[in-house]
Amino acid sequence: MATTTAKLNIQSADLTPGMALNIDPPAMTMYQTGTTTGLELIDMGAGRLTQASGADALAEALGTADTTNYVYICNTSTDIEHYIKIGIHDTLIGHLGSEEWLFIPWNMGDADAEINIEAEASGTIPYEYAIFKSTFTLPAKT
Amino acid sequence: MATTTASITIQSDITTNPVTITKEMVMHKFQSNVGIEETTGLQAKKFAATTAVVIVENTEGTAGKASKVYIRNTGTSNENFFYVALNASAAAADTTETIGKLYGGDWMLMPWAATAATSHDITVAPSTTDAMTLEFMVFQE
Repeated sequence: MATTTAKLNIQSADLTPGMALNIDPPAMTMYQTGTTTGLELIDMGAGRLTQASGADALAEALGTADTTNYVYICNTSTDIEHYIKIGIHDTLIGHLGSEEWLFIPWNMGDADAEINIEAEASGTIPYEYAIFKSTFTLPAKT
Repeated sequence: MATTTASITIQSDITTNPVTITKEMVMHKFQSNVGIEETTGLQAKKFAATTAVVIVENTEGTAGKASKVYIRNTGTSNENFFYVALNASAAAADTTETIGKLYGGDWMLMPWAATAATSHDITVAPSTTDAMTLEFMVFQE
């Protein structure tokens, strides 16, 4: 059984003056849906987006619906004008600015619940991602 | 200008070559190098019903500005969880648009497009009537 953990730390000495912020929860372990069995599927990669390409599916919901999966995406551009729109199907989650990352659970609520990404601002925006999955079904042969 | 940093370390031995991802980000205003300056503060809420509840209303953010949301299930259960959704009222698995499930100890940090509509309220729904606690915080410019 594999073990996958994710550790977070958020710090700020001056966001709330007089009360330094330090969110430092224990590392979480990623388990298969509703179990204590570690995840055993991973999809990692990197790519480049252009505004002209429009929205692209980074990951299709090709697994069992309503399961436990986790998504990490990082906009690795250093140009502050470059941001990536992140969405699930038709719903915009948010804008990932340059050198920013996100980490979210993803339950693949239904077959349409793909993770999609779209570059905004001209130029080429590099990104990295890692998706840790409970289930995955390979696409059908064409 | 405030400086707020978030760092993540992911470690995994799913593959035969272990994976380590380490990244730090500074939370900036939209398309800017200026740090965000506002926050809701860290909040904690205890739940004991499966009713969906809006924890962050769309009106708490500003469309077109940078916002980030941190949410964590402070429990330890591997069976009970919170659905987290961008939605007007509910967070069922097949409701548009559920993001995912946070089991005990799970956390998430995501950008948030605070579109001025209930479709961008952040809603959670516990999977059980057993008591569970969620902590959350919004960072915004």
